[in-house]
Amino acid sequence: MTAVLATRDLVKRFPGVTALGGVSFELEPGEVHSLCGENGAGKSTLIKLLSGIHAHGSYEGTLLASGNEVEFHSTRDAEAAGIAVVYQELALVPEMTVAENLCLGHLPTRRGLIDWSEVYAHAERVLKAAKIELDPTVEVRRLGVAERQLVEIAKALGKAPRVLILDEPTAALSDDEVQRLLDVVRELKGRGIAAIYISHKLDEVFAISDRITVLRDGKSIVTLRAADTNPSEVIAHMVGRPITDLFPRRVSTPGEVLMEVKGLSVRPRTSAPERLQDISFQVRRGEVLGIGGLMGAGRSELLLHLFGAWGERAAGQVTFQGSAFDVKSPHEALARGLALVSEDRKRYGLFLHSPIGFNLSLSSLPKLRRRGRIDQGEEVARSRALFDSLRVKAPGLETMVGTLSGGNQQKVVIGKALMTEPKVLFLDEPTRGIDVGAKLEVYEVINRLCEEGKAIVLVSSELPELLGMSDRILMLSEGRVGGTFQRGQATQEGLLAAALGRLPRSAEASVVS
Amino acid sequence: MRQSLKPLLRDYSMLLALAAIWAFFGIEHPVFLSSRNLSLLLIELSITASLALGMLLVLLPAQIDLSAGSGVGLCGAIAAVLVYTHGVPAPLALLAGTGVAVLVWSAMGALIVRQRIPAFIITLGGLLVFKGLHWLTIKGQTVPVTEGGRVNAFSLLTTFYLPPALGYVLAGFVVAALALSQARARARRQSFGFRVPEPSHAFLTWFVSAQLIFLLVIVANQYRGVPLPALILGALALSVHVLTAHTPFGRYLYAIGSNEEAALISGVPIQRTVIAAFAVMGFVVALTGFMQTAYAGASTSTVGSLMELDAVAACVIGGTSLRGGRGSVAGVLFGALIMASLLNGMTLMAVTPEIKFIARGVVLALAVWVDVKLNAE
Repeated sequence: MTAVLATRDLVKRFPGVTALGGVSFELEPGEVHSLCGENGAGKSTLIKLLSGIHAHGSYEGTLLASGNEVEFHSTRDAEAAGIAVVYQELALVPEMTVAENLCLGHLPTRRGLIDWSEVYAHAERVLKAAKIELDPTVEVRRLGVAERQLVEIAKALGKAPRVLILDEPTAALSDDEVQRLLDVVRELKGRGIAAIYISHKLDEVFAISDRITVLRDGKSIVTLRAADTNPSEVIAHMVGRPITDLFPRRVSTPGEVLMEVKGLSVRPRTSAPERLQDISFQVRRGEVLGIGGLMGAGRSELLLHLFGAWGERAAGQVTFQGSAFDVKSPHEALARGLALVSEDRKRYGLFLHSPIGFNLSLSSLPKLRRRGRIDQGEEVARSRALFDSLRVKAPGLETMVGTLSGGNQQKVVIGKALMTEPKVLFLDEPTRGIDVGAKLEVYEVINRLCEEGKAIVLVSSELPELLGMSDRILMLSEGRVGGTFQRGQATQEGLLAAALGRLPRSAEASVVS
Repeated sequence: MRQSLKPLLRDYSMLLALAAIWAFFGIEHPVFLSSRNLSLLLIELSITASLALGMLLVLLPAQIDLSAGSGVGLCGAIAAVLVYTHGVPAPLALLAGTGVAVLVWSAMGALIVRQRIPAFIITLGGLLVFKGLHWLTIKGQTVPVTEGGRVNAFSLLTTFYLPPALGYVLAGFVVAALALSQARARARRQSFGFRVPEPSHAFLTWFVSAQLIFLLVIVANQYRGVPLPALILGALALSVHVLTAHTPFGRYLYAIGSNEEAALISGVPIQRTVIAAFAVMGFVVALTGFMQTAYAGASTSTVGSLMELDAVAACVIGGTSLRGGRGSVAGVLFGALIMASLLNGMTLMAVTPEIKFIARGVVLALAVWVDVKLNAE
């Protein structure tokens, strides 16, 4: 049987990173084929190649559709070849009706005016064909997440595809809604439409797939028949990577508890469903608590909530140095001795068109105030000390931050947090997007801070980094604690299983300290 | 602190524009350069620049105040009615007007940051409401700032001139203070290991500034002396400079305008800072209102009309970004000088109000276009 879609040795490089290092994979007509891999394994990049977002010529290797080599120069070319993508981020206009959304971009017109009867007729046809029961006249903003996802699928089906790509379609769905969506996928499969299915939830993957291809570090590792394998084998393939000696973490002796979280549940806003549920942990002086989990597990939200910048507490207590801690703003959190380095340094960390000195001292200005004015001598002295100890590579404090490399920008953000002299420091993905040398320097800073008696909470998507740097590890899974591990007890397989919510309850109980 | 070639280029292009404006009016209407007119221009500049300095504090965190002009009219009207109709002593009336303005502007600031209503809308509403209140206050009449031509603190605002001798003493004092503060700043920067300008360059900057200050006093003294509004502007400019360049509050204004999300995560108290900026703006609006009303001699229905746009134009011409995060006191003073010169020259040449409106509009649009252009690059 000729594959409806196939790739041969795809290689895609970005400046400084190889996102895909040789991916070969085949999609047979009418099959559901799942792609599995850790964050950053190359799934999203592969989808972008298949859908024409990364145009032909920007990568190496071959794309084949029904056995013929094809070149996608744009998403239109991919659509013309019968490939339709349902994206993670919903791309619907909430103020428009289902029918309008389904026709968006090619609204039927008659003598220059929109032909409304044709709009609704088209919507009816598309929905009926997919056996999706939805009223096409209802506005999308009135629909739930699952129904919107179905509209997205209907929209993709409206283009009469031969291949449907579903990128994390169930990330925001409840169990019932997931079943409804899987039913639609099965229905389509019955009509000969092949599907590429991407999900972090292995239950779904095994429920729906004919075959599974595992990606790791940008390479296709193995393709397995779902019937012949099991979740553990898939996880083992997903991890399968040795820990390098990159991590200089020294063994520390944790001191007293600085921060304690008990039964914390948080919702984004009043009357919204809880995003974080029943989370408990402790942070001790002189230790690194690693927090891991898959994309969307709630790691950043947890840090931001404790820092006073996100969500509303539904339940639970937080204590900081023995007293209740319920700050309403980062300003308060910093004053109490908690600092945070955000994962998105350009958006939440830096003032790119301002000098390094401005950036470094911004969070510490209350401490630098003398008779209402900023004590410039003290400001420069403290900034210079951090500039030197973090070894920021720049001409001086007056250099604009925007001109620095990613690693040096990150040092400035860390320096801004350190100047406040925090007792507890939250680091959210502190090594993302910086080169190996700069990573090592960040790790050394973490070690030094621990020796100075600070407590570090390190959020990372990279399991080796968590294993290498943490004294204890907390894995989050869909807003809950998926498992906690002591240094030395944790393995990549164990962490990943906890992140996927597959750790047996008994095993979890045994490692909670 | 923020130096690159582009702002420098802009400074020079604006300097050329100013020279062209002065040359044009000077040739077309020689009275423009008379000491009497230059003295009046100094008062008008002081009024325009004061309001623009307040506007700077609001523009830095990427907000705007469209109600400033109406507020100018209202504050002047409140003080005038208290003095003229109710016989309240002038200092008390001015204090009352200031208090009302600070409260009302703080409230607008609170609405903007707490209820998340855009400043554009809140202050546009303010523009209309204050205009209505202004007209209600004076009941469609002309309300003089003083009773029976007597002198009081209100009328003195724009009729008091520093005696010539005192003017020279003050000029000498300012020039000396300038030299001292420049030398101290230089020594500090050197001790921090920062780049400092060549000694000859620093001296030249000081020397030219000193010359200009003395020239200003000489010209003013040829008429009646340095007018009080110029002294008020001097004090206000110094305060706003210290506020923006040397206090946490000022840093926060720049941070909020540059990247509000990062400012929040960095612990900047955004709400408190923006409300405080509006409170200061209220104070400045009242001060400007008193000066403008005193300058007109009475509160009439047109006092303050459209002054907010002159203030915004002065800021933008002086290099303040409407997107926030960029702007300085020196730039604003310069922009105000261009706006005041244009308005004064047009009045001298008896340009009709219709054409004046059009010219102001074109200048405002031109200034914002340049701002957008320089931002895009």
